[in-house]
Amino acid sequence: MRYSFISGLLITLVTTATAVAQTATITVDGEVTTPLKLSTADISNMKKTTLQATDRDGKAHAYSGVPVTDILRLAGVTLGPRLRGENMAKYLLVKSGDGYEVLFSLAELDSSFTDRVVILADQVDGKPLPEGKGPFRLVVPGEKKPARWIWEVTGMTVRFAK
Amino acid sequence: MKIRGWTIAAAIITIALLGSNTAIKQTPYVLAYPASFGNRINIPEDNPLTKEGVALGRSLFYETKLSAGNKISCSSCHLQQLAFTDGKPRSTGVDGVAGERNSMSLANLLWVRNFFWDGRMPSLEDQAIFPLTASHEMAQSMEVSAAKLKATTQYPAMFQAAFGSPEIDEKTITKALAQFERTLISADSRYDQYINGTYTPDSAERHGLKLFMTAPVPERNIRGANCAHCHGGPKFFLELFHNNGLDSIPVDAGREKHTGMLADKGRFRVPTLRNIAVTAPYMHDGRFNTLEEVLDHYSEHIQESATLSPVLRQTSNTSGSHSLRLTATEKKDIIAFLHLLTDSSFLTNPAFSNPNN
Repeated sequence: MRYSFISGLLITLVTTATAVAQTATITVDGEVTTPLKLSTADISNMKKTTLQATDRDGKAHAYSGVPVTDILRLAGVTLGPRLRGENMAKYLLVKSGDGYEVLFSLAELDSSFTDRVVILADQVDGKPLPEGKGPFRLVVPGEKKPARWIWEVTGMTVRFAK
Repeated sequence: MKIRGWTIAAAIITIALLGSNTAIKQTPYVLAYPASFGNRINIPEDNPLTKEGVALGRSLFYETKLSAGNKISCSSCHLQQLAFTDGKPRSTGVDGVAGERNSMSLANLLWVRNFFWDGRMPSLEDQAIFPLTASHEMAQSMEVSAAKLKATTQYPAMFQAAFGSPEIDEKTITKALAQFERTLISADSRYDQYINGTYTPDSAERHGLKLFMTAPVPERNIRGANCAHCHGGPKFFLELFHNNGLDSIPVDAGREKHTGMLADKGRFRVPTLRNIAVTAPYMHDGRFNTLEEVLDHYSEHIQESATLSPVLRQTSNTSGSHSLRLTATEKKDIIAFLHLLTDSSFLTNPAFSNPNN
């Protein structure tokens, strides 16, 4: 099932290769078994989650997008039962097109550790994200500051802390 | 017996040293900087700093033989007294033609991860080749530069000392330049002295600092200029590329030219504000002659476009406005604070000056 999904992604990548050169993609690399380069179409084909969270404006909004762990699992990152032992020293570095970077330990994201779901959102209140913040932005519920709600996400890298 | 053993060992080591081209004889150069600057520094594994490498790089930095017709050196567009900028809107090369962009300050490059206004180069070694060879800059091939240096009495010995071989090529020239540039650390401004408790800012400077660090919230009567959002931290820059609203349709596409991404249109590096009072004119094209003009831009003239930085959208001291809307006094006080970032010991440090003068 997973393999057919991945090969589906590859086909999408090939067919949209020319458009990809100018539009957003998200690379997933580092300590992964399958490096990914996801197009907007690839991500819109994934299962969506909607959650309420409060942005810098102090108001609650409905954000919808793909759980970050779904993307990491697709790349073969050590989550769930495999998130133990030395894998506890792994982190996810998320990068924005503007150069900003934020970090999560894998345990902060994994559903066997936390009920909080961090999503890669592409919609807010049923609309695409505003200009400059999209097409994809992390939404990290329950934090007092939205400093890790990194916008214009272009890359996710999993690494071992040295 | 013991003494003889040591003598033999020393003799073997001496012979090994004489017979090898390894880096054993170089003296490590110890960088000194405040702990607050952090250790996320950018030194390639194959180019550790050595005293010999830094000395060579310093000499090359001021060497006109690296340019066509021996007319200019790196220092022609990077003058120490101007924090290694040149005071021109856009720099001129050997042919007197203005280049594309404003000369950037070389302070604290040790922490920079993407060089040039568009961030197109990942290291100082890679960066150096561009100004050395570009037709409106130093305009000389690396092969010709290497040949000219080889023909001198001074340089083969300096390369031998720095890299263990008298060979001179693109790699060793750029490595040495990069080593010298990494030593250009500015961390002794009056602001640093204030942080260390040896300088007391006056009321205008204190007010400017507060505005610099604060994001405006007009609904709660909080006034601010939000400068630190991008120019924050002890180094007064973050590794960011933003469109700061200079033009709605930029003449220079900036980072987009490097990445091909539409989102990068009109984006340029967020430069350090350390020594900003001596690095006029400002912006990638040197369009603003004074800090007053820069403050006027952020206060009143932000131009909207699809790629305008989200940080500059609806960030204002007046609800609903798209520019900061600072008062004349606030602008003056922010500028007073910016003057605290001038590091006169950096601008006059003899270790950074022309060694041949």
